[in-house]
Amino acid sequence: MAARIDFASLSLMDALDLAVLIEDEAKERYEEFAAQMDQHRTPDAAKFFRLMAVNEAKHGQELADRRSQLFGGVTPTVTRAMVFEVEAPDYDQARAFMSPRQAMKAALASEVKAHAFFVAALPSLKDAKVRALFEELRDEEVQHQALVKAELAKLPPDSGLSDDDFVDEPTAQ
Amino acid sequence: MRKDLVFGMAGSGGDGIVSAGDSLLQAASAEGYHGVMTKSFGSQIRGGESSCRVRISTDPVLNPGGNLDVAVALNWEDFLKFGAELPVAGTTVVIYEAATGVPENQIPLVGVTPLQVIAVPIAAMAKETAGTERAKNTVVLGLIAGWFGIGGEAVMKGISKKLAKKSQELVEANQKAFDAGVAFAKSHPLKADMTVVPSSSKGAVKLLTDGNDMCAAAALFAGCQFFGGYPITPSTEIMQFFTNHVWKYGGAVLQAEDEIAGIGAAVGASFAGKKSMTATSGPGLSLKSEMMGLASIAELPLVIVDVQRGGPSTGLPTKTEQSDLFAAAFSAHGDVIRPVLAPTSVADMFRTTVEAFNIAEYYQTPVIILSDQEIASRKETLDPIDTSTFKIINRLVPAGADLQDYKRFKQTENHISPISHPGMLGGTYLASGIEHVESGAPTNSGSVHQRMNDKRIKKLDPLKERKDLFEITGNPDAPLALVAWGSVAGVCREALQMAQAEGLDVKLMVPYLLYPVAEQTYRDFFASVQKGLVVEQSHLAQTFKVLRMHLDLPKGLQSLARSGANPFLPGEIVAALHHLLSELQRSHEGKLQPQE
Amino acid sequence: MSATMTTPGEFQAKDYKSDLKPIWCPGCGDYSVVQGIYRALAAVGRPPHEVAFISGIGCSSRIPGYTTAYGFNTVHGRALPIAQGIKLANPDLLVLAAGGDGDGFSIGGGHIAHLIRRNIDITYIVMDNQIYGLTKGQLSPTSQKGRTTCTSPYGSLENPVNPLLYVLAYGAGFVAQASPTDLAGMAATLEEAIRYPGFAFVNVQSPCVTYGEEAQQIKGLKAISESLSAIGHDPADRLAAMDLAQHYGEKLHLGVFYKNPEPPPTYDALIRERQAQLSQGALPKERILDLFIKK
Ligand SMILES: Cc1ncc(C[n+]2csc(CCOP(=O)(O)OP(=O)(O)O)c2C)c(N)n1
Ligand code: SF4
Ligand SMILES: [Mg+2]
Repeated sequence: MAARIDFASLSLMDALDLAVLIEDEAKERYEEFAAQMDQHRTPDAAKFFRLMAVNEAKHGQELADRRSQLFGGVTPTVTRAMVFEVEAPDYDQARAFMSPRQAMKAALASEVKAHAFFVAALPSLKDAKVRALFEELRDEEVQHQALVKAELAKLPPDSGLSDDDFVDEPTAQ
Repeated sequence: MRKDLVFGMAGSGGDGIVSAGDSLLQAASAEGYHGVMTKSFGSQIRGGESSCRVRISTDPVLNPGGNLDVAVALNWEDFLKFGAELPVAGTTVVIYEAATGVPENQIPLVGVTPLQVIAVPIAAMAKETAGTERAKNTVVLGLIAGWFGIGGEAVMKGISKKLAKKSQELVEANQKAFDAGVAFAKSHPLKADMTVVPSSSKGAVKLLTDGNDMCAAAALFAGCQFFGGYPITPSTEIMQFFTNHVWKYGGAVLQAEDEIAGIGAAVGASFAGKKSMTATSGPGLSLKSEMMGLASIAELPLVIVDVQRGGPSTGLPTKTEQSDLFAAAFSAHGDVIRPVLAPTSVADMFRTTVEAFNIAEYYQTPVIILSDQEIASRKETLDPIDTSTFKIINRLVPAGADLQDYKRFKQTENHISPISHPGMLGGTYLASGIEHVESGAPTNSGSVHQRMNDKRIKKLDPLKERKDLFEITGNPDAPLALVAWGSVAGVCREALQMAQAEGLDVKLMVPYLLYPVAEQTYRDFFASVQKGLVVEQSHLAQTFKVLRMHLDLPKGLQSLARSGANPFLPGEIVAALHHLLSELQRSHEGKLQPQE
Repeated sequence: MSATMTTPGEFQAKDYKSDLKPIWCPGCGDYSVVQGIYRALAAVGRPPHEVAFISGIGCSSRIPGYTTAYGFNTVHGRALPIAQGIKLANPDLLVLAAGGDGDGFSIGGGHIAHLIRRNIDITYIVMDNQIYGLTKGQLSPTSQKGRTTCTSPYGSLENPVNPLLYVLAYGAGFVAQASPTDLAGMAATLEEAIRYPGFAFVNVQSPCVTYGEEAQQIKGLKAISESLSAIGHDPADRLAAMDLAQHYGEKLHLGVFYKNPEPPPTYDALIRERQAQLSQGALPKERILDLFIKK
């Protein structure tokens, strides 16, 4: 649970490590979703989730590079256990037969969630550099949202029909 | 023009191909055709491969058919997974999704050259007309209406009825997709005319249901007032039907904590005087065996439905097999005979279930109905059943003199003793699984045990005289024969017709009573037989072995047996008969020629 | 990319992940449970081949196949009896058992009491989704009263089982709850359960997206979840644990309800003791027939 982070005492190195972990988690979740979509013959959504995974990875790599320039190989003190689904979509955001639109909406919701995380953390931050980093990350989330929204806008208009009216019922075993 | 068409369609669960099959069958039935639909699935809960087979005919349909007349593949990967379940032959028209990118001369079906192969941009048409690729199944229905003349109006009528409550927009989207399918078909005529002859019985009332619902409805008709069970595929719908309806007849249903408790509650309800039932599939039948023994020794009426699936253990939960005969007849320890009945179709599930209750109540015994996944889940159109022609038998209850010094297990001429139930004045007794004397008091006397076993086994002897539990068709003196039960019987009925049309002298026996084995009925049937086949979906050939255990079979009688989920085709059975005939002729020639 | 960030130790979560593709519906909570298990196993650090993972039948019971441990997908409701046999046959193994609410509390309900009273060192994980997933949405023993399902079309008339109170009442030494609303917490709780020497039970609220009710999805669960450590619950206090456990269904308490501060010896340990004791002075095997020599 994110609550385990003590924001007041967060150093810049910790904050960078934390940011890398957040991107990392999101990347893994998107990869997992893409695999779920593959397994359930929903290739368009799989493609989109894979794209998201690549984006998160790219962003994570940038942050990791910054971290190693500044702090080299110093052992990190924050752990994966401290972050949970900051930017990764909740597990139940995946759905059978997701359309690209639904997939994008799930991603958008996660970007909104991540934005809210950084906004909520800001008041408790003491270190000015950390604060600057968090502001930067917060603003990036806004950019990400804009990117996903742009992708959404490219889609043909929604038919407004629910898939449940067409697909087969689940299979009993 | 055709009188009979077999469609086989496959896609992923998201393609809604099974819903399309449902709509097609409903429409066909509204247009007065006869039909059967079976479904088969992969192992994912959602989005795995799914397929259905729909057979539509102007005449009553005996089975889901052999080779496909029309194959619909929304993608090849899914279609191929069904292998022998969806056999394509030289007479098949293959329709597939153009977006698969497979050229028409390179479809991945080895060893066959279909009659015609047509790639249709199904997804693109759906997208263009309905605004969503999901409407692919509606496009397919339009193609079928256009090419084969089924469901032109009725399909959309059915869909509109289903969707009107949701939104008019949805109905219109579907209509557009459907019309596009029809238009494509009209502008790309088939090489051969494959439209179906209009049905003469258009407008006649038809029933449309599956084996599980039919079984539950028949049970309620027979007076069943209690169901105890535990969910298990492919039997669960029987319990579901009860949960919806049994209350209306003053009865009750319990979804118990497991199968043992489920049958236990049913045994209790029967002891309490109510007709009762449980239903399960293989793994559950294994669990129920101890309770089945209890019902036998306590002489309590009970109907147990076993909807067979591939076994052992979890096996193939969504596929059919006939491998529970041994378990049905022989599971539970001790010397005991338990009647086993098997329906062959949805239509005769009604009669079989009513019969099971009648036998259970009359003979005070558990009775097993061996249904199977195919019958349980296949939908059939049926002519209405006149229920007034069915007799309902209730258990013999003690009255008057019986209740003076009442003896629950009294020896009688036909070994059947009047049975009281709690609440009946003067009828108190101890029911038990321990051996008991006539009053019900426990005993460990060997002589009583011998006598009581005698009573419990002999009381069932008259069942073996029941000729009406066997269907024999074909020339009674034929030298060639087929024996088959359950869903395989339908395939053999069709094989019989085909073989006769090809001049073979052959007959068919379909037993509805599998156990106890009616020795004399089989002996009479086999009297003329020189060569024959017992056809079954059981790797061990359980039927063949049970018959051999009880009687001397004709030397030329062979077993045609294989594991479930590998359906028999009428054509292959006819081919096997031809082979038998040539063997027979050779052996006759052999006799005429002098030995060297 | 961030190799430095993963759990220190010889094994990483990915070492416990198999190549089998889950059959679960996209979005099913069980995907998160298997992730939690990978992480917990990595933290404990036992090599996959020393782990035996046993399940019953259900959607959730497919889980052992998605790990690289020795898995056994048994029959419905019988994961525990089989798991206990494995543990007794080889107490050195780390034995996990898992299944659904139906598997555990309906058909298999009778077994739980006996594993608890024997205190066999097994970690039992129930993926509680208040429904029968695999058979398409029938009433489960943990479904709320009044719930409509395909076997309760007019609403259920039965009260649900309370899995937490159930195991607490029988005297389980470790009782906890987790959910995908907090995956890190789930991994930590599972790790603690595995490390506990004795029978450990973890109820995981794992939403069924296909048949579950809206309130049981992650959003609904988040709204009612509360961390036991955050409210200052002392896991050594069994009565307080029982008190909190009463709110199963209305509140989602996450973390450890009860952990016996002085774990009694496990059955498997006692058996070893007995084996050691009795083997002293025993006749050598090859002279076993000497037992029949009339004195
Ligand atoms: C003896 C037996 N009875 C019934 C079944 C059918 N069955 C399979 S899974 C299941 C229940 C599934 O519910 P749960 O245990 O809660 O697991 P979930 O699918 O929800 O994860 C049932 C009734 C079976 N496989 N074996
Ligand atoms: S039916 Fe429910 S429990 Fe089963 S895989 Fe789907 S979401 Fe999960
Ligand atoms: Mg469940």
